[in-house]
Amino acid sequence: MTEHLPGNNYLAPELLQKLGDLELIAREVVEGLRVGTHRSPLRGCSTEFAHHRQYAPGDPIRSIDWRVYGRSDRYYTKLYEAETNFDCYLLVDASSSMNYASEKVSKLEYAKFLAASLAHIVLTQRDSVGLSIFDSEVRAHLPPRSTMSIILQIDQLLRNIKPVPRSSIAKQLHDIAIMMKRRSVVVVISDLLSDVDDILAGLDHLRFDGHSVVVLHTLDPYELEFPFQGAWCFEGLELEEPITTQADRIREEYLANFNQYMTKLRNGCAGSQVDYMTVNTSLPPNEVLSEFFFKREAMINGASPGARP
Amino acid sequence: MTFLHPLILLASLGISLPILAHLLNRHQVQHTPWAAMQFLNRNVRVRSRQIRLRDLILLLMRCAALLLLVLALARPAWQGSIANWFPGESRAGVVIGIDASFSMAHGDKDQTRFRRALGQVAVIAKNIQPGDPVSVVLLGGENKVLARNMAFDQNRFSDLIETAKIVPAGLDLDRVPGQLKELADDMEALNKEIYFVTDIQARDWNESSTKFQSALADLGESGQVFLAPVPGIDGNLAMTELELVSGVLRKGAVGRYQATVKNYGTDPVTNVEVQCRVEGVQIDTKTIPIIAAGASETVSLFVPFHNSGPTRITAEITGDLLPTDNIRRVVAVVRDRVSVLCVDGTDGTAGRLLMAALLARSDGSTDENFQVKSIPWLSLPSEPLEEIDVVILADVPEITEQQTKQLSQYVRQGNGLVWFAGKNVKANIWNERSASNSQPLLPAKLGLPVDVSTGNGAGRPLDPSMPDHPLCLPLRSLPEDLFSETRFLTRLDSEIPSSSFPILKLAGSGDPILLEHSLGRGQVFMFTTSAETSWNNMALTPVFPMLMQQMVTYLAGREFEPSQTVGDSLSLAYEEQPDASDAVFDSPSDELITVPVREHRKQFVALLENAREAGFYEARVSVQAPGLPIAVNIDSEESNVSSLTTPELNQNLDSTNIIVAPSEAELASAIQANRTQKSSWRQFMLIGLILLIAESFFADRLQKRKQLKGPTDNSNLGGQDG
Repeated sequence: MTEHLPGNNYLAPELLQKLGDLELIAREVVEGLRVGTHRSPLRGCSTEFAHHRQYAPGDPIRSIDWRVYGRSDRYYTKLYEAETNFDCYLLVDASSSMNYASEKVSKLEYAKFLAASLAHIVLTQRDSVGLSIFDSEVRAHLPPRSTMSIILQIDQLLRNIKPVPRSSIAKQLHDIAIMMKRRSVVVVISDLLSDVDDILAGLDHLRFDGHSVVVLHTLDPYELEFPFQGAWCFEGLELEEPITTQADRIREEYLANFNQYMTKLRNGCAGSQVDYMTVNTSLPPNEVLSEFFFKREAMINGASPGARP
Repeated sequence: MTFLHPLILLASLGISLPILAHLLNRHQVQHTPWAAMQFLNRNVRVRSRQIRLRDLILLLMRCAALLLLVLALARPAWQGSIANWFPGESRAGVVIGIDASFSMAHGDKDQTRFRRALGQVAVIAKNIQPGDPVSVVLLGGENKVLARNMAFDQNRFSDLIETAKIVPAGLDLDRVPGQLKELADDMEALNKEIYFVTDIQARDWNESSTKFQSALADLGESGQVFLAPVPGIDGNLAMTELELVSGVLRKGAVGRYQATVKNYGTDPVTNVEVQCRVEGVQIDTKTIPIIAAGASETVSLFVPFHNSGPTRITAEITGDLLPTDNIRRVVAVVRDRVSVLCVDGTDGTAGRLLMAALLARSDGSTDENFQVKSIPWLSLPSEPLEEIDVVILADVPEITEQQTKQLSQYVRQGNGLVWFAGKNVKANIWNERSASNSQPLLPAKLGLPVDVSTGNGAGRPLDPSMPDHPLCLPLRSLPEDLFSETRFLTRLDSEIPSSSFPILKLAGSGDPILLEHSLGRGQVFMFTTSAETSWNNMALTPVFPMLMQQMVTYLAGREFEPSQTVGDSLSLAYEEQPDASDAVFDSPSDELITVPVREHRKQFVALLENAREAGFYEARVSVQAPGLPIAVNIDSEESNVSSLTTPELNQNLDSTNIIVAPSEAELASAIQANRTQKSSWRQFMLIGLILLIAESFFADRLQKRKQLKGPTDNSNLGGQDG
């Protein structure tokens, strides 16, 4: 249970994990999100009627405007702005390091919750959601679509992928950028435990292609605080050599290094106009998303994307 | 390698604790998968190795420090050639026994045996390391322990040795091994050395018992024994005796004292001058022309008593290498006059014979300072006893209870009573009256007359073997045929308690004729035969006057007269329960010794357990009271100062592993040769402590370095970041 939402402990990551059904999870998260007063940050990209065109074989029957048919006895289909200017790509890191969990929910599972919740939000706005899953390479890529089935596909894809250690993130981002045909909102959900310059290079590529990039830097609370005491053997998830040490003695140095990394990453994102947010996996996803949307809205309303405290 | 306290080594198991802690710490390593290895990779890998190395170094330092401290406490020592490979010092616990008997004072002033003994002690001290345990005992008399397990310090030790003085007593050689062993066993040292510095008096060593020999051998089990002999030349004269042989101790009379001088040397000594002093004033000097080697010579010293009261008399020789035994002391209690009252229970015969024997003057003339008076027994109640020194009751049939109390009180005050049996004596009445007091008046319970004549009707003579009693002195000088003329036909049977003892007995039967016991400060003599001639012919022989005069002399001047020997107990008897609870004894060196008064055998006595000095003590019933002098002399047996020869000494020590070092050089050499063990506990302790301090410093430094880096501000790490 978190201190921020004491009454919503049913949204704790551990409880969401027990739900199993990702669509249900996403709905729960989004429902929890609506309890607040925040508006969707993607509202500016909402769909609007553009014009009619004559029906052609192959068009979806449900897009036929039956009122026009009643008046003119001709088949016309409705065309919307949304279909042409808003896609949301969810880039989920499924590398080995994302499997770390100090408690029951791993970073990868938490990333799944976030991705599903975001997809749910986007889809309820009738926008399209695409998905890319990567580790050492791009494991899966779903082009944007507007059906809720993508949430199930997220779950299925992540379940089937065997995590592989990742040495670089830029390459994968480059590859994904190539696969994206239109300018989109790209949400990168990753622990970004890699070289900062490499990460920034990948993000820069996305920005260069005109995408609006959001980084949800997903980290375990233990990675943030390093609360270990006594002798610990740290076995690297990315095939690093294990390190046995007195954790309490090295905590200060760890935090110093980590802070240095975080500062560099944060400054880099700000410089590249990448919207950055640290996600603590011990917090409920709805709270994280609420905070995210609040800041996103503030940005849209005037603040520059990189002007984060 | 040997250890003084091997059990302490068990504490070395304690090093398992830091090792165990270290191992447990290692085994308690928890494993976790970790994603953010990149923040560990750059720094922690090196650091982890460093920590491991530092932990190992700290662990080793702790273990080594603990091990070294345990080893140090166990007091290790290296033996043999291995000792050369390790640091250490030649250490030993040292027990020094110094012969301080007065024979050690023999020699020239600056070269006495004792001085040479102290020289040997100085050699021993040079080889003692500071801090080593040292015990020093002065052997002689009661043996005085000067130091017990004292941590050696040269200055303190020198000061201590300077206080060592010769005691005016002999050496009890049989007690020496036990005393030294007790000190050695009481000492905590891995290597023990026992030194015995003595003049190896032949008198002691030749008469040493097998028990002494075995004790000496046992002493070797407690440590290495060194004997440092300081023998000297043999020549020594000693004043061995000074005794009153005749005369009455009263004012105006002259006492004849007999002084005996013995030559303990191997050469005859000529012209030995004997000086007699009374109260420090020389009054007589005699010269003994020659004293053969090993022989004794006596001279008579005539002492005129000009004043009454206790009189200190000394006889002294000079020009001797051992002054301690050149002087002999006695105290004579001189009375203003001596008055004897004979109470005659016969028809006057006994009184007449007693007066004749005491006065011993054929012309019947009298001496105003020596009065003898005879009265019939019925006149006793009217006779004042305050003026009488000795009362003689001869064949008195009976006395009243009041007379019994009067006579008891009279004797308790320090006067004398002589009692003769006879045919008129009513034994049952005497027994009843005598026993009516807390302590019986007479020395024995009376029985019936017994015929002690031999088979042919002749009387039985006195036993010529007599105890060493002042009364017997003149009788011993009588020719044997004259002595045996005294015959006894009848005696009164007697039941003798343990508090009385016989002085004269009959030859053959051993029946007691003369008994003595003490009553307060006085004495009671009891003849079991008659004073007149019906039961014996004693009154007609020279024995009677000699015996009676000696008895009066003894009784009239006995108080505090007997000389004591150093080590004896000195007693002060009271007439009745004293007001003060303590008596005071002034020693010859003017030391004031307070002694509590105790009741002993229904008498009040102050007993000074051990007279440590030779000279005149003074006993006082209180600090203000006049002193009663007591002469204390040395035991002249110690005067035989001849030492063992080297072969004799070797023969004596044949069965032991005692190292004999006659000279200072030999002693120093023997110590060095024997001290092969090296003690390393100080080094171990020092290194252990240094390691401990270094470990603490190292650990503290690591801690401080960690603190100096200060806490990292990670307040923004727990939540979201924009």
